[in-house]
Amino acid sequence: MSLRRGRGVLQRLQQPLCEGLQQHAPGLGEIAWLSQTGTQTRQASQLAVKQRMRSVQNIQKITKAMKMVAASKMRVAQVNTEKSRAIVSPLVRLLGDLPAVDVENNITVPVTTDKGLCGGINSTIAKYTRATLRAMAGEGKKQGLVVIGEKGRAQLQRDQRKAINATVADLGKVRITFSQASTVAEDLLKTEYDAARILFNRFGSAISFMPTVATVLSPDALEKEVEAGGSMDLYEVEGPDRPQLLQDLAEFHLAATLYNGVQENNCSEQASRMSAMESSTKNASEMLSKLTLYYNRSRQAKITTELIEIISGASALESK
Amino acid sequence: MSSSAAASSYWRVAGMSYLKYSNLCADMVRAALKEPFKTKAKVREAVYYRTAQWKDGQPVKQVIVDLNPEATALSKK
Repeated sequence: MSLRRGRGVLQRLQQPLCEGLQQHAPGLGEIAWLSQTGTQTRQASQLAVKQRMRSVQNIQKITKAMKMVAASKMRVAQVNTEKSRAIVSPLVRLLGDLPAVDVENNITVPVTTDKGLCGGINSTIAKYTRATLRAMAGEGKKQGLVVIGEKGRAQLQRDQRKAINATVADLGKVRITFSQASTVAEDLLKTEYDAARILFNRFGSAISFMPTVATVLSPDALEKEVEAGGSMDLYEVEGPDRPQLLQDLAEFHLAATLYNGVQENNCSEQASRMSAMESSTKNASEMLSKLTLYYNRSRQAKITTELIEIISGASALESK
Repeated sequence: MSSSAAASSYWRVAGMSYLKYSNLCADMVRAALKEPFKTKAKVREAVYYRTAQWKDGQPVKQVIVDLNPEATALSKK
């Protein structure tokens, strides 16, 4: 069964059928109601329960498989993420991270996933994006939004439609590479901005992801910031002059931060999907055990009723 | 590219950004490798994504960026 279809079934299963039985055994209302109305419908209801049991079982298989796939993808992603941190951390140490920098032209880059079924990591990013946009708004300030990932676009275009400059998707479809991050960064550099804030889920462990804001200044803004004071004065610059070095660094900083952000978010996505699928497998097995109980109980009830009917019929004949 | 235009490197004069220049250099180094390392490294040249520019709350045109189809095909294997 394809993933898309499995998802449809999952949604159908979640629809409430009859309110009365909802709190007792979710989703069994209609079946219970049917079983009260005669033998034939009772059989039909048993068939319905059986069908539902089968579909729950199938979904459980899918979620279990998805969990396994996510777990193995996460292991690969974790290695790549840890490697990508090594690229960005020296830059952060040298240039610093200035999330509160007050500049005129801000651009926000939320990094989200392309596919769903991965818990709430995209909603967190969307929430943080809205908060960042609110925080950066003000007199004479310009806002920009470049959304990475399909899910973030879907969430943010509802209320931030006007702010979106561009969208990027399918970054992880083939492979996340530094060249790719550089190409996206170059596109970003073409748009006018002073500070870019890249939002992503930083991977902590398989169960913890921190929504993170990484601030990257544009070449010009970085120059101003460094002139105002900073650790750059501690270094003696050889070769090209400092403004040029800073420009190179600013460009590289943006690409490295983007690369790291996309890697971190990819890793968090897999980890989050793993735990989401684990809990849905657990839910499915719970649902299955409830259904099995109900199925057996109603089958037993049917047998008992039939026995009573036979016995009472026989005794009625005997008494004559 | 305001202040540094005067004392620029030759590649910046040619209109390249640092990223483009460094990635080109990386491609050159990768191309200089011998097999089997060459194919292995080639995969890291893949650049594939979809992008769309937005105007007035609407996506204008969607573009699929695939700068190195050879490397993309290699990574899909």
